[in-house]
Amino acid sequence: MESVNPIERALRGIAITLVILFFMFPIFWIILMSFQTNETILRMPPSMVFTPTLENYMALITGKLETSAGILEIAFMKNLFNSFFLSTASVAIGLVLGVPAAYAFARLKFKGSEDIAFTLLSFRFAPPLLVLLPLTIYFQQLGLANTYGGLIWVYQLIVLPLILWIVRGYFEDIPADVEYAYRIAGHSWGATFRKIALPLAGPGIAAAALLAFIFAWNNFVFALVLASADKQPVTVGALAFVTASGIQYGQIAAGIVLSIAPTFALALYAQRYLVEGLSLGAVKG
Amino acid sequence: MSDATISAQRPRRFKVSRRMLPYLLSLPALLTCIGILVPFVTAIWYSLQRYRMSQPWNRGFNWGENYLNFMTDSAFWNTLKVSMTYAFSTVALELLLGLGIALLLQRRNRFNNFVSIMLLMPLMTAPALASLMWKLMTNPGFGILSYYASLIGLEDFRWASDPKTAMMTVVIVDIWVYTPFIMILLLAGLRSLPKQPFEAAALDGVPRLFVFWRITLPMLTPFLLTATLFRVIESIQQFDIIYAMTQGGPGDKLTVFQVEAYLNFFQSTNVGRSSALLMILWAITYFLSNIFIKNWLRLREKQRGDA
Amino acid sequence: MTIVLKDIVKAFKTDVVLDGVSLSVDKGETLVLFGPSGAGKTVLLRLIAGVVELDEGVIEIDGRNMDGVEPEDRGIGMAFQNFALFPHMDATENIAAPLTAKRMGQQQIKHTVEKVARLLKIDHVLHHKPKELSNGQKQRTALARALSGEPHILLLDDPLRNVDAKLRFEMRLELPRLLKDQEATVIYVTQDYKEAMALGDRIAVMNGKGIQQIGSPFDIYMSPANVEIARLFGDPVINLLDVTPERSSDGVQIMLSGQSLVIDDGYAQSIGQSCVLGIRPEAFHFVEEGTQGAIPVSIETEAPLNEKTVTLALTKNKREVMISRPAGAPAPSSGTAWIKVDAKNIHLFDRQSGLRIDPLKTQQAQGAA
Repeated sequence: MESVNPIERALRGIAITLVILFFMFPIFWIILMSFQTNETILRMPPSMVFTPTLENYMALITGKLETSAGILEIAFMKNLFNSFFLSTASVAIGLVLGVPAAYAFARLKFKGSEDIAFTLLSFRFAPPLLVLLPLTIYFQQLGLANTYGGLIWVYQLIVLPLILWIVRGYFEDIPADVEYAYRIAGHSWGATFRKIALPLAGPGIAAAALLAFIFAWNNFVFALVLASADKQPVTVGALAFVTASGIQYGQIAAGIVLSIAPTFALALYAQRYLVEGLSLGAVKG
Repeated sequence: MSDATISAQRPRRFKVSRRMLPYLLSLPALLTCIGILVPFVTAIWYSLQRYRMSQPWNRGFNWGENYLNFMTDSAFWNTLKVSMTYAFSTVALELLLGLGIALLLQRRNRFNNFVSIMLLMPLMTAPALASLMWKLMTNPGFGILSYYASLIGLEDFRWASDPKTAMMTVVIVDIWVYTPFIMILLLAGLRSLPKQPFEAAALDGVPRLFVFWRITLPMLTPFLLTATLFRVIESIQQFDIIYAMTQGGPGDKLTVFQVEAYLNFFQSTNVGRSSALLMILWAITYFLSNIFIKNWLRLREKQRGDA
Repeated sequence: MTIVLKDIVKAFKTDVVLDGVSLSVDKGETLVLFGPSGAGKTVLLRLIAGVVELDEGVIEIDGRNMDGVEPEDRGIGMAFQNFALFPHMDATENIAAPLTAKRMGQQQIKHTVEKVARLLKIDHVLHHKPKELSNGQKQRTALARALSGEPHILLLDDPLRNVDAKLRFEMRLELPRLLKDQEATVIYVTQDYKEAMALGDRIAVMNGKGIQQIGSPFDIYMSPANVEIARLFGDPVINLLDVTPERSSDGVQIMLSGQSLVIDDGYAQSIGQSCVLGIRPEAFHFVEEGTQGAIPVSIETEAPLNEKTVTLALTKNKREVMISRPAGAPAPSSGTAWIKVDAKNIHLFDRQSGLRIDPLKTQQAQGAA
C-alpha cells in the first residue's frame, strides 16, 4: 500500500506543508502579534524579529488601556468572566435537563419519543435569529432582557440538542441486561439510573459537557442580540473592543488569544470525543 | 380478602408511575424548549404584519404582503443570490479541500494524528473571533496578507472592504474555520471503511485512481452527504463571520439572510420584513434538515451497528 | 413459591414470539425450558422477571398477579446468558447487589458474599473487575449474584452457554445439588438437551411460539410428542424413516429394506397412513447373518463418542442410519452387516402433522393398571 514513488512523496509533503501553513499561520501570527508593541506591529515590511512584551496582556488584565487620548477603561476581563459564567452555567443546566431526557429517549421508549427527540434536534438547524428577534421583545416584557438567566435559557438551544444526542448514544451502548440485572437484584429504576447508567455513560457525559461548553463559548449571535455590554461574552466583547480601542492592535491580538485559549485547551483535552460530538453522535472517532 | 385488595391496588400505582416515568424525565428539557417555540410562532405572526417599530401606529395585518413584496424587491433577490453564492462556494471548496486533506492524513501514524488534531484548532475558534483575526491580517496598514498581496503586485488590495473581493475574503475565512469539520468527518469515515476491498484491489493491481473513484468514493458517500448537508444548512445561515467582518457591507455585497434580517430589525426596525425573510430562510433550512436528518440517522445506525 | 403462567402472548412489533403459553412451576421444582434459539425461552424468562412487558395473559407468583409489579419487587434472582455483570464494580460489589438492595449491614454483606463465593469457588477473585475475570469466573460471579439474595425464585438463562466445555461439564454435575440446596423454584433455560436432562425435574420443550411438551426428562426422551422433539433429544440424532404400516398375518408390520418389522397391534389405526418411524441409534443392534428379520446394511464409517461408539451405515435403499453401542462392544467395522430393531423401542409419528402416534392398546392397558 505504501507508495515509494519519490515524486509522489515530495508532492504529498508539499501539500501537507501548505495545508498546515494555511490553517496554522493565522493563529501563529496572532500569537506573535499579541507579544508586540504597536511600533513593531506597524513596521513595514513585517518582521518576525522583535522583543516580546507582556504589556498587552497586562493592560487587559488590569483593565487600563493607555492611549494617546488618555487612559481608557477596558472591560475585557469582565467579558472573559461572562464567557466562563454563561458557558459553565448553561452546560450545568443543560446536563441537569438533558441527561435524564437522554436516558428516557434511549431506554424507556415511549409514545412520540422519536418525534420529540427530532423536534429538539431540529432546533439545532433553525435560523437562530428567527427565535432571537421576537425574543428581544418578550425578554423586555418578562424582565429577562440583559440578564444572565435569560441568556442561559437561550443557550440551551445549542447545548441541549448536543447533550441529548451524544449522551443518548452512550446510554444506548450500555447493554440493557446490565441494567435489568441491577433491577432484578432489587433496586429501583432511580437507583439503577444513578449506580449503573450514569457511571457507565460517564465518559460520554463528560465529552458532551466539554463540547457543549466549547459551542456555548464560541456563540456570538445570542449575546449580540440579547445582551448589553456588561453581560457580553468575549465573542461579542472583542468586536466592541476593536471599535473602542481603535488602533491598539497588540491588545486586540492579546484579547483574541485569551478568548480562544480555553476552547483550544478543552479541545485538546477532549480530542477523542470531538468527532462524535461534531457529528452529533453519528460518527464514532 | 384484605390481602387481595392490597395486592390488587399496589400494582396499579406502580403501573402509572412506569408509564409516566419517561415523560417526567424528559419534561424539563421539553418545557425549556417549548419556551423557545413561542417566539417561533410569534415570528410567523410578525411576518404577516405591516410592522415597523418606528411607526407603531401603522401596525396591522397585511397577510402575505411582506412575502408578495419580495417578488419585486431587488434587495431580496440580492440577499437570496448572496446567500446562495456564499453557501455554494464555501461548501464546494471545503468539500474538495476537506476530502483532499483527509486522504493525505488517512494512514494512522503519529504525525498524521498530530496534524489532524492541530487542524481542528480553527474549528475550535469562535467564528466571530476568526473573522477578527483575518480582519487584522488583511488590515491595509500592517496586515501581513495585505503586505504579501503588495509583494505580488496587488497594490492597495482591500480584501473585505472592496466590493469586488469582499465575498472572496469571507469565503476564505469560512473555509479556514469549517474545512476541518469536513476533514475530520471524512477522516473518520475513511478510517472506518472495511479493508478487504482495498487489499483485493491492490493485489489485482487495480490503478489507484480507479480504486478512488469506484471503491473509496462510493463507500464514503454517506459521510460526504452528511457532512455536505450539515455544512449547507449552517452556511446558508452564516451570520457570525460576515457580521464580524463587514456587517453585510460594503454596500449590500454580503447581506445574506440573517445579516439582512438583523439589519432590517435593528437598523430600519422593519420587523415585518425581517420576520418574513427569516421565515423563508427557515423554510429552506427545514427542507434541507429533513433530508439531512434522514441521512444522519442512517449513518448513525450503521456506525453504531458496526461498533 | 409457585409460578403460574396463563395464556401468555408476547409480540415484538408484528413478530409474535409467544402465542398463548401456559405453564405452572411448583415450589422447589426445577423446570427446564428447552428449545432451539428463537423459541422464546429468554423472552419468557424476562416476562417473569418483569423487565419485558406482557401483551396478554397473566403471570402469578405465589398466587399474586404480577401485572404492574416492578422487577425489584418480585423476589427473583436471575443469571443472564451473557452474564450482564456490572463492568464498573468488582466481583464483591456485583455479588453484593441483591444484599445492598435489602439494606443489609456491611458486616453481614461481607459475610454473605464470602460464603456464596466459597460455594462457587471464586473467593480468590473477589476484588477483580469483570474484565479481569475469565469466562468461567464471570459465569460463577453471575451465578453467585443470582444466589446471594437467597431468592425464592431463580431464573437461569442458559448460564453455561458461554463457558468452555470442561467447565460446562463440571457445572452440570455441581448445579443440581446447588439448586436443591437453595430450596428455590428454578426455571432454567438451555439449548443443550443433556443439560436439560441432567438438571430438570421437568422439561418444557419450546419450539415455534409455544410449549410443545412438558414432562419428566424420562417421559420426553421415551415418548417425544412429535418428530421435532424426538430430533432435539438424543445424540446422535434419532433415525427417521418414512414408512407406511401394513396389515400382516401377525398384526401390524412395517417393511424395512424388505424385512418385516412386526409392531404393536395398537398401531392398527395407522395402517395405510404415511408415517415416520423413529428409531434411536441405541435401539438398533448388530446380529449374526441370517437372523430372522435382520436388515442388511453396508457400513460407511465408525466414530467413538465418549461412552459409546456410533456406526454410520447405508441400507439397501441408500438411506443413512446411525447405530450406537456401548464403547468396547464388539461389532463389524466394515463391509456388510446385519442389524435388528427392538420393536418395543420404536416411535411412530404422523408424517403430515409430525405428531406422535401412541399404540391404542398400550394406552388402555396403562389406564387399566
